[in-house]
Amino acid sequence: MRKEVNHMKSYALIIDHESCWGCRTCEVACKQETRSSDGIRLIKVLEDGPQIIEGKPDFTFRVNVCQHCDEPACAEVCPEDAISKRDDNIIILNEDKCIGCGLCVDECPYDAIAFDSNRGVAQKCNLCFHRVDNGLIPACADNVCPGHCIYFGDPDVIQREIAEKHSRRSKEPIAATGA
Amino acid sequence: MFQFKYSNAEKEMEIYGYDTVVKSHCRMCHGGCGVLVYLKNGIIEKIAGDPDCPINHGTLCSKGIGSTQLVYHPDRLTYPVRRVGPKGSGKWERISWDEALDIIAEKILHYKDIFGAESIVPGYGTGRENEAVIYRFANLLGTPNVLTAGHFCYGPRISTTIITCGTNPIVDYENNPRCIMVWGNNVVISNPDCYKGEPFSQALDTGAKLIAVDPRLTRIAARADIWLPLRPGTDAALALGMLNVIIKEELYDKDFIETHVYGWEPFVARVNEYSLERVEKITWVPKEKIQKAARLFATTKPAAIQWGVAIEQQINCADNNRVLLALMGITGNIDAMGGQVLFKTPKINNVGRFGAHNMLLREQAEKRLGGDRFRLGGNFSIINPKCVWNAILEKKPYPVKMLFLISSNPLLTRGNAKEVYRALEAVEFMAVSDFFLTPTAELADIVLPAATWLEMDYIGDFWKRHGYILPRRKAVQIGECRSDHEMLNDLGHRVGQGEYWWDTFEGGLDYILEPMGIKWKDFKEMKYLRGEVTYQKYKEKGFSTPTGKFELYSTLLEKWGYDPLPQFREPPEGPISTPTLYEEYPYILITGRRIPGFFHTENRQLPWLRELHREPIVEIHPETAKKEGIQEEDWVVIESPRGRVRQKARFFEGMDPRIVSAEHAWWFPEKKDPGHGWKESNINILTSNAYDHCDPAMGATHVRTLLCKISPEA
Repeated sequence: MRKEVNHMKSYALIIDHESCWGCRTCEVACKQETRSSDGIRLIKVLEDGPQIIEGKPDFTFRVNVCQHCDEPACAEVCPEDAISKRDDNIIILNEDKCIGCGLCVDECPYDAIAFDSNRGVAQKCNLCFHRVDNGLIPACADNVCPGHCIYFGDPDVIQREIAEKHSRRSKEPIAATGA
Repeated sequence: MFQFKYSNAEKEMEIYGYDTVVKSHCRMCHGGCGVLVYLKNGIIEKIAGDPDCPINHGTLCSKGIGSTQLVYHPDRLTYPVRRVGPKGSGKWERISWDEALDIIAEKILHYKDIFGAESIVPGYGTGRENEAVIYRFANLLGTPNVLTAGHFCYGPRISTTIITCGTNPIVDYENNPRCIMVWGNNVVISNPDCYKGEPFSQALDTGAKLIAVDPRLTRIAARADIWLPLRPGTDAALALGMLNVIIKEELYDKDFIETHVYGWEPFVARVNEYSLERVEKITWVPKEKIQKAARLFATTKPAAIQWGVAIEQQINCADNNRVLLALMGITGNIDAMGGQVLFKTPKINNVGRFGAHNMLLREQAEKRLGGDRFRLGGNFSIINPKCVWNAILEKKPYPVKMLFLISSNPLLTRGNAKEVYRALEAVEFMAVSDFFLTPTAELADIVLPAATWLEMDYIGDFWKRHGYILPRRKAVQIGECRSDHEMLNDLGHRVGQGEYWWDTFEGGLDYILEPMGIKWKDFKEMKYLRGEVTYQKYKEKGFSTPTGKFELYSTLLEKWGYDPLPQFREPPEGPISTPTLYEEYPYILITGRRIPGFFHTENRQLPWLRELHREPIVEIHPETAKKEGIQEEDWVVIESPRGRVRQKARFFEGMDPRIVSAEHAWWFPEKKDPGHGWKESNINILTSNAYDHCDPAMGATHVRTLLCKISPEA
């Protein structure tokens, strides 16, 4: 099934963190697409743990990327209106308008905006709108992930797909005492 | 899987203005994934996974995508060079291919004439699917000495599986194993042989149970139903303990054992020596967990073991493999659909035939270095590297005069790096074929510019055991770079082997495909080919072993003078085997955990991949760090009886505080002096390659588990 993204009203990039292996292919797929400068990671895979949760050792990865918030604090704070929300809910940072004040970087609650000090501009995931507007999937979500943990499309549909996937997985009762 | 096929090549080309897309087969690791290479005006602009490839279903890894930066890297060698200063001076001059190959050919003929062909040692690492051409060249030349990673990587998988059941059993991910035991392997970020992380993920998503055997808490271990965090180097004991449970509780496949197994009674007697109490003491794993894991594995059908190199780089190399094979075998999962399958390749001239092993005269084969000492390895044309270093440095049993290293950086990747350096410094003549002037290449006399996978036509995976072959199609030409295959085809003509080579290497590809009645020009129009898939072939034909059975008791090992039954040996250094040394070096050092983006020594100069991991990291448990006065991000000195190196500390609670985990293969291409920092963080400065630390049958160097002390760098 090829996803028909053109006619959707609202897009979301949703990560199924439970399925992330930490392989970081998405980071390099993003590099290949955006050619962002060295050190500027618009999507980044962070380690969470190891730690003990309910008696079980746990170690997960968190994929950090712009959440395209309903009420984007970054857009509020930008003095130049360089950050704007489209009708389809994609939040775009227009580098041409950016004056490099860095207010959005500080304001983002998800630490998802980078600052390219060589070029003096803030940068974030624009959800590959140049691809989306042409009927393509954002680079990181375009079937690169070997764990299939990055989804793009209608958020309700995605959440159902993820829940269904998780329900098929092994639920070995001895796992809880696995430590 | 189908729902993930988003890739839309036509639209990609239209939107971005690409003028060409080449469907090819990646080779940035030990495996190979289908890829789509997009070009504009002859330049590679983008690499994406090929959704039609049965290996990766369109997904990819960081290394595959990062290949573009390898192809166009400014430091790449794009023409042959000759060293003009002393070794390691970094002074080179450009020469032509004709001149370079003539010099190499002249040296080969000279040494062959005076010292015998055995004085010339070609070698390769795990890079460019060139093993078949290199063995062909060596065997035609008459040298039995090919220096590879085979003693402790993949060679053991091939040799132990052949002597046990005829070929390497591959996890049948396409038919959804219901239980997967991942043993010392991180298939989702590493470089697996056949199938990749994607089909493994899919198997879990359809409900497969998961058992993880690993001293470290990987994400796989965290997701597992059961995680067995064993003391490093005790894999064989753990597996024997599981076998003990399976046998005691009669959870084995009785029909299979009765009809198809050789040596059941003596095998059971051996397994009985490994009581759960004893195994718990050896492995640090509570016996209840071993029991649970054994029961889950033996009672869930079909089940399979995802294994890899970690257990091979140990003194128990061959027996580690054999006990895992025993687990697969006695539970009835060998050649079972969704279990572990003995796949057939298409009808081709395979790697053994192409390698021309039958052309090596017996009197030359008998001269194989270490062939008497490591007879399992020797019988599979594999040598232990120390034998070569000794022959160079001590001229015993005869002198080695020339090395020809093709995609290999042994200064970083073989045990006891200081000895490797002495040997590379001492060898009379060394030629190297590689992408960059690596620390090893800097010690060569001639360096040839090698082509990457994007610059060659080849039959991808033709030596693999999943049964697929896939066309690798040339996308670009860079400078004067040549594939190792074309290079050896040319050199073969210059040393008098012309009748066994071709005008160009396309002839070699035609030769591989010949039994199917097709040529490369036909194959390159195809998606892929696969051998016929059938299961439980042993029911009709038996196993391809001396007894025709699945040999739990190896008649070949017995013939070669080894214990025919698997056993556990303590790691050569450790709390049990060397308690006095353990007082001075109080931590168990494990080496070589996998890192996304790198493949052994490769890719540290590619910006997209180095950005993922800038420095060598040693993982230390916070309790241990506190005891040793180490703060997170400190540079730490790691020291063994053989030397010291530095890596940067990261706290890691997911392992026993007695364990320290260091990375391997680090050098620093950004350092422009000819050493490129090879001594700074190279974990093989610390490892031992002593013969009595190697697997007695295979000759595998024990580089994964040793003793160390750690301290913050002054």
